[in-house]
Amino acid sequence: MELTVNKPLAGTFGWLQVGGKRIDLQEEIHRQSCVLSPGETRTLLLEDQGASEYEITLGEGARLNLVQLRGASGKSLSYNNVRVTCADRAFFGWYRIVTGGSETYDNCSVTLEGRESTFEANVCYRLAGSEKYDLNCEAIHEGKRTQSAISASGVLSDKAFKLMRGTIDFRTGCSGSVGNESEDVLLLSEEVRNQSVPVILCSEEDVVGNHGASVGRPDEGLLFYMETRGIDEETACEMLAQAKLDSVIGRIPDPLIRENVREKVRENIREKTPEHGREKTPELDRDTAFQAAPEGE
Amino acid sequence: MKENKTYVEEGDRSFYDFRYDDKDSYKVASGLTPDIIRQISREKKDPDWMLEFRLRSLDIFTKIAMPDWGPSIEGLNMDNIVTYVRPNTERMHTDWNDVPEDIKNTFERLGIPQSERESLAGVGAQYDSELVYHNVRKEVAEQGVIYTDIESALRGEYADMIRSHFMKLVPPEDHKFAALHGAVWSGGSFVYVPPGADVEIPLQSYFRLNAPGAGQFEHTLIIVDKGARLHFIEGCSAPKYNVANLHAGCVELFVGENATLRYSTIENWSKNMYNLNTKRAKVEKGGKIEWVSGSFGSHVSYLYPMSILAGKGARCEFTGVTFAGAGQNLDTGCKVVHNAPETSSYVNTRSISKSGGISTFRSAVVVGSKAHGSKSSVSCESLMLDSESRSDTIPAMDIRTNKADVGHEAKIGRISDEAVFYLMSRGLSEEEAKALIVSGFAENVSKELPLEYAVEMNNLIRIEMKGAIG
Repeated sequence: MELTVNKPLAGTFGWLQVGGKRIDLQEEIHRQSCVLSPGETRTLLLEDQGASEYEITLGEGARLNLVQLRGASGKSLSYNNVRVTCADRAFFGWYRIVTGGSETYDNCSVTLEGRESTFEANVCYRLAGSEKYDLNCEAIHEGKRTQSAISASGVLSDKAFKLMRGTIDFRTGCSGSVGNESEDVLLLSEEVRNQSVPVILCSEEDVVGNHGASVGRPDEGLLFYMETRGIDEETACEMLAQAKLDSVIGRIPDPLIRENVREKVRENIREKTPEHGREKTPELDRDTAFQAAPEGE
Repeated sequence: MKENKTYVEEGDRSFYDFRYDDKDSYKVASGLTPDIIRQISREKKDPDWMLEFRLRSLDIFTKIAMPDWGPSIEGLNMDNIVTYVRPNTERMHTDWNDVPEDIKNTFERLGIPQSERESLAGVGAQYDSELVYHNVRKEVAEQGVIYTDIESALRGEYADMIRSHFMKLVPPEDHKFAALHGAVWSGGSFVYVPPGADVEIPLQSYFRLNAPGAGQFEHTLIIVDKGARLHFIEGCSAPKYNVANLHAGCVELFVGENATLRYSTIENWSKNMYNLNTKRAKVEKGGKIEWVSGSFGSHVSYLYPMSILAGKGARCEFTGVTFAGAGQNLDTGCKVVHNAPETSSYVNTRSISKSGGISTFRSAVVVGSKAHGSKSSVSCESLMLDSESRSDTIPAMDIRTNKADVGHEAKIGRISDEAVFYLMSRGLSEEEAKALIVSGFAENVSKELPLEYAVEMNNLIRIEMKGAIG
């Protein structure tokens, strides 16, 4: 079945090819809907099932933390579409961790209908080989004093490709709302390709919207410092990649799910590592490195 | 909040809105056909290759779809647009006194001859489809600087140079309105600055579209050779009509090794204008292009000057301000392609929306695989003056090497009540206070302009703000 996915709210120059993508799904889409009653709180961990669509409705004051993992061991093509509607004071937290997979298409669209509702997206990825990650994340502010924070960070190496479209849409009437978006991408190989389209749409006067992005190499000063501590560049880069994953995993509020995810991510990285010619896991690198550079040296 | 605001009528634009009857001018029929293209070509006394180029461009125009990602241009019906209007004068003049009276009056009222006397190295004035006046100071000409209308250059000693550069940076295949330009272009300037020449005071071309329902399609070609330096200013305006007018000009800039070109524009087309202009620069090793762009007029604009950094160490700076008022949808920004090592780009823009106006900042930064050691920084800020208006920011980055650093930041917000209150406590009216804050917000552009133009820009802001407050 062919379908167009990740079509953003606002298009741009055609030659950039950052509009929606046409994909060919070889399987049925797994559809689920979820309603949280007013005041209900949940944290859910979902692993990719190939092709999934989730329709989520959060009642007044409800809180949902949705943790989604995508690893190299899953199906070669993953399509994940999450649509959320938030009532007054509802909270939706999305934790998306992508550590592999040939092709991953993620769409997360959250409508902040209710007053003072909040959306937080924490996205992290570690891509290598010829892996592709295509993400469309939207925060649609309709209610008054709503808040959104979209944060994405990741590392690309080998011939990996990543496209992130992040949109904060302030609709008329959402006065007092605040939207922030940040992206931080580390590029570790000459053949990677990174595309970023951070969009702010605004038809309301009384709002504040910010976006910041940084794309490039690891900071030379930092690498130099690590070298003086006995850590070679490759190990240092792996440590930085691991730190990015850890920073998102560390924000997962449920301790059991957090540890579960941490373990699964370790497994994913271990499974991937030999394929890409790395002999040591990042964890071992880090331990060895710190032993090699005793405090005070 | 809304009930506390006082609404004032739209500002007075009569300074730009005066018009003269065009009954004596020559024009082709409206619409686009091969016969009309041949007719324009005959009028222009084109060489054969140019007629072929025009017809090929028309063919491309018919095959390319309208852009589907920007503001609506449904109100633009090419069948109603007159693509060539020759003003009531047979030739271009180099003495201001020889220019026909009504045309002369138009430019006198816009202050062009005065600017020429006081602050410019040379002036070109285009009225509808033709340049009516061109002059360059003797001392600049003595440096070997060529500043002339492009048609004369096409038939004269620079014919080969024109042919080897014309629509090479912006080929007709680029987009629908580039193809349209290739088919019906008329008028415009050619500038050549020889190696090492430093033109200390700016050259200016001013474009005035007087005829209702007409299009203006001037072509500007500037070549700044090795180590040379130039500041070129482009100004444009038109009276307002009830029918759509179209501007689809094309600017091609070639910046040689270690050369510097500053290209400044104060665009103040009338609010029935579709401004679908294309500007592009190619910068060689160590060269620098500086764009300074103020967009105030037009009903709809698509305007994204593009810089191709083709040589090692080439640089680009883009500074822009866009002010969208009632009935305006201004989609502006820039594009930068880093295609060589150690190139750098710095983009700094401001946009303001009021009274239902829509302003969109749109950009693309592409860092190619050869651009090792390159840097790019994009910063855009938007100011919303009311909730009837709209302001969008749509930047894109495409990075294809790990040996580059790219940063981007965007902010959107409104005028701080505290700042307005403070200024009002110092004796300013609310309107004056907000106009002052907006002028300060747009200072990044005005400080880059020569004083006379900065004053004009601040006047435009003051006029626009009259309808907005408060």
